[in-house]
Amino acid sequence: MRRISLQLNGEKAEAEIEDYSTLLEVLREQFSLLSVKEGCGIGECGACTVLLNERPVYACLTLAVKADGCDVKTAEYLSGAGSLHPLQEAFVKAGAVQCGYCTPGMLMSAYALLKEEKTPTDEMIREGISGNLCRCTGYVQIMEAVKDAAEI
Amino acid sequence: MFVGENLERVDALEKVMGKGMFAGDLRMEGMLFAVVLRSDRFHARIISIDADDALSTEGVARIITHSDIPGANGYGVLKKDQPYLAEGYVRFFGEPLAVIIAESERIAREAALKIRIIYEDMEPLNDPFMAAVSTVTIHKGGNLLCRKSVFKGDTKKAAADSSVIIERTYSTRRVDHVFLECEAGLAFPDTSGRITVISSTQNIHYKQKEVSRLLSLPEERIRIIQAPTGGGFGGKLDVTVEGYAALAAYLTGRPVMVRYTREESMLSNTKRHPLYMNYRTGAAKDGRLTFLEAKIIGDTGAYASYGAVVALRAAVHATGPYQVPNVEVESSMYFTNNPVCGAMRGFGIPQTAFAHESQMDLLAEALCIDPLEIRKINALRKGSETATGQVLNHSVGFYDALKCIEPAWKERKKTGNNGFGLGCMFYGIGNTGVPNPSACHLTLMPEGKIGFHLGACDIGQGSDTVLTQILLETLGLEKNCVLLLKGDSDTTRDAGSSSASRQTYITGKAVFEAGSKLRSYLEEKGINKGRSLKDICSAASGEGGPIFDGFFDPPTTPLDPVTGQGIPYATYAFAAHMTEVEVDAATCVCRVKKVHAAHDVGRAINPDAVRGQIFGGVAMGIGFALMEEFIPSRSKSLYSYYIPTSMDMPSVETYLVEDEEPTGPYGAKGVGEPALIPQGASIMNAIRDATGIRGFELPCNFERLCVLSENNDCNYSGSKFKG
Repeated sequence: MRRISLQLNGEKAEAEIEDYSTLLEVLREQFSLLSVKEGCGIGECGACTVLLNERPVYACLTLAVKADGCDVKTAEYLSGAGSLHPLQEAFVKAGAVQCGYCTPGMLMSAYALLKEEKTPTDEMIREGISGNLCRCTGYVQIMEAVKDAAEI
Repeated sequence: MFVGENLERVDALEKVMGKGMFAGDLRMEGMLFAVVLRSDRFHARIISIDADDALSTEGVARIITHSDIPGANGYGVLKKDQPYLAEGYVRFFGEPLAVIIAESERIAREAALKIRIIYEDMEPLNDPFMAAVSTVTIHKGGNLLCRKSVFKGDTKKAAADSSVIIERTYSTRRVDHVFLECEAGLAFPDTSGRITVISSTQNIHYKQKEVSRLLSLPEERIRIIQAPTGGGFGGKLDVTVEGYAALAAYLTGRPVMVRYTREESMLSNTKRHPLYMNYRTGAAKDGRLTFLEAKIIGDTGAYASYGAVVALRAAVHATGPYQVPNVEVESSMYFTNNPVCGAMRGFGIPQTAFAHESQMDLLAEALCIDPLEIRKINALRKGSETATGQVLNHSVGFYDALKCIEPAWKERKKTGNNGFGLGCMFYGIGNTGVPNPSACHLTLMPEGKIGFHLGACDIGQGSDTVLTQILLETLGLEKNCVLLLKGDSDTTRDAGSSSASRQTYITGKAVFEAGSKLRSYLEEKGINKGRSLKDICSAASGEGGPIFDGFFDPPTTPLDPVTGQGIPYATYAFAAHMTEVEVDAATCVCRVKKVHAAHDVGRAINPDAVRGQIFGGVAMGIGFALMEEFIPSRSKSLYSYYIPTSMDMPSVETYLVEDEEPTGPYGAKGVGEPALIPQGASIMNAIRDATGIRGFELPCNFERLCVLSENNDCNYSGSKFKG
C-alpha cells in the first residue's frame, strides 16, 4: 500500500493504493468516478480515457502510482461547474450519443484535442478520436459534434 | 409536432455527463462478485471438477456447479438446450462449468484458477460439413438443427429457358458483437424472497421467464430491470449474466454482481453465423431474373440459440429485393463444437446479401447491363410477389431508393485504384411467420403527468426517444407531460425483444393505440375545454386510476413447412448502398472512401436517429466485409479481433425514402438491421470494380485479397460443396 496525492477534477485528492492498482480501479472504486468505463482492460477500446496532465491516457493501462503529483481529469470534470461543457452540448445536439458507453472516454479525447488545437481539421478530429472505439454511431455524428464544439 | 423532428435523445444528458448507471456501475451493501469458469476444450467428457482448494481460499463464499441449480439447467429462445453449467459434457471452448462467488472480483478470479478439471477429450466437430456426415453426435437428436426451405415455381424448367446462368459459392465467418459494454448484471433477494436482476439486456420479459425456470420460482417472484445498455446488436438477447447472478443471489441470500471482462464476453457470447451459400441464378437476355437456386449451410455452434431463425430468415430473404418467379432454397444449420451462434444484427441476411448482390453483378457483367439497371429491372415494387408468394401492396420504396443513388452512380469516375459497387437488400420487420406482439400501457399520475409504461429495451438505438415521440404526437401534449417508466418487468408489459428491427414498428404501433385511447379520454374529460391535465389526473384516482393499454401484433401467416409459402412479415424495409473503395495495389489494403445509403424506412420518426443507425450500420458492414473474423480459441480480446475505428470510416451520404407503411405508427417501419445489411455486399462489388478481383469469402481482409491478387484468379469461388 502507498499513498498518492493528485489534483483530481480540479480538487486536491489523496488515495491509499496497491502498487498494482490501475488508475481505472482507483478512480472508479475509491473516488466513484463511474464515467470511467472499462471496455477491454487492455488499452484497445478507449472507454476509460482520462486526462493525465491534460494528455489523454487509457486509465486501464496506467498504474495509479503514475498519477501521484499529477493533474487528472475525467468526464465528470466537464460539467463540474454545473453547466454542460460546449462539447457535451454538441454531443447531445449532433446525435453523437447512442448507447453512451464510449461517450465519456470519447469526450475526454475530444477535449484534449480541442485544448491543443482550437480549430482542428476533419482529419485531425478523425485522428484525435481514433483511439476510442464506438460500435453504435459509426463515428460520423461524433466527429460532427467535435467540429461543432470547436466552432463555438 | 413530434414525428419527423430531431428530438434530442431522452437519455443523452445523463450519458454525456457520465452519469448513466450501467449495470457494472451498480453497488450494494454486502455485495458479492461471481465469476464463471469456462472450459478450454471443444468437446469433452467431464471426469471430475475439484474445487476444494478454491473453496478454502479466504474470501470465497461459495462455488456452484450444475447440481446446485434448483430448477431447469437449460435455456434458449426456441429450444432449452443450453446448460447454464455443464452437466457431464462440454460442447464448446468457453462452456461454463462453475460459478465462483467471493467477496471481491479479484478473489473470485484467483480462486477460479485453482479449480482442477479432469476431462476426457472427444473428437471435436469444427465445421458443419464434418458435422453433416460424422458418426460423432453433439446432441442426442443428431447434428442437424434444422432445415428450412422455400419453393416456388419450377427452377429446372426456368433454367432451361435462361440466357445466362451464374453459379458461385460464397462464405462468411463468425463475427462478434463487440458492444462496448460487456455483459453485466446485479441480482439481489429481498426480504420476501423475490429475486431482482438488474442487467444489460435486450428483453426483460423473456429473461424473467428464463430465470423463473432456472430457480423454479413463479414468474411473479422474479423481477428483471434493464440497466442502461451499452449496445446489444443481438448479443444480449440470450441469457448472459442474468442466470448466474440470480442463481448466486438465490443461493447466498446476498446481492451478487457478475460482470464479464472482454475476454469472458468474447468467449461466451453468441456470434454471427458463418454461412456457406451456393447460389445458382438465371436471367433472360433483357436482364430479367428467371430463377434462383440456393443451398445454404450454416454452422450454428454447440447450442440452438437463434440458429433456426437465422436459417429461416436466410431462406426467406435469399432472393434479395428482387422479383424471382422460380425459387428453390434450402437452408440447413448444423451443430458443431464451435461457439454458439445466435442473433446478430441482420439474422443471416448480411450473409445472403453478399451472395445475391455478387450474383447480380455477375449477371450484369455477363449480359453487359449496367449493375444499377439490372437491379431496377428486377426491383420489387408495388404488386410484386416475393419468394414466399407474398404480394407487396404497400410501402415498397426500393425503386425509389435506387433512384436516390442513381445520380451518384451515373457520375462515378474511375481515377486510378478506386472502384464503385452497389449493395441492396430487403428486410422483413419483426419475427418470421409467428406472432410477435408488443404491449404497453399508460396511466395518469397524481402529480399531473402521463405514466408511460414501456417494456421495450433501448439498447442505444434510441427506441425510448422514438417511442416517446410517437406517444407525444398521438396525445398532442408537451414533452414534460410524459414520465417514462421503463424497462422493469414489475411495471411494464411485454413489448417483445429489441431485435428484428421491430420496436419502432410494432411497439410504436402499440404506443399509438394506447395513446389514442388516452387522447379520447382526455378529450372527453375536457382537456381541450380549459381543464388541466393535472386536474384530470387527480380526478382519475377517484375513478380507480384508469389504464390505457396498447397492443399490436403484425398481421402475418405461418409459412408452409415444406414450400415456405406464406406471409412471414407484415412489412419490409428496403435499402440500396453505393460504395466507393480504394485498393492499394502493393499492400492490398482496401479503404472505403464514400458511401451513399438510401433507405426506405416508411417514415423517419426521428431523422437524426435514423441517420445514426445508418452510419453505425455502415461501420459494422465495413468490419464484416474487411476485417472481422472470430476464430475460436484464438480471438480472445480486442488485440486479436479488430473492429472499425474512426480512421476506417468513409464519408456517408444518407437518403431517406418515406413510402409509408399503413399498419405502422405514422407510417414507420424499421432501420436498425437494414442499415448494416447491404454494406458488406457493396464493398465486395466495389473491390471487384477497383481491382478486377472478386472475393467469395468474407472477411476480404488484405491477406485474402493479396492471395487472390497473387493468384490472379478473378473468378475464384472456393470449392463447390455438396450438402
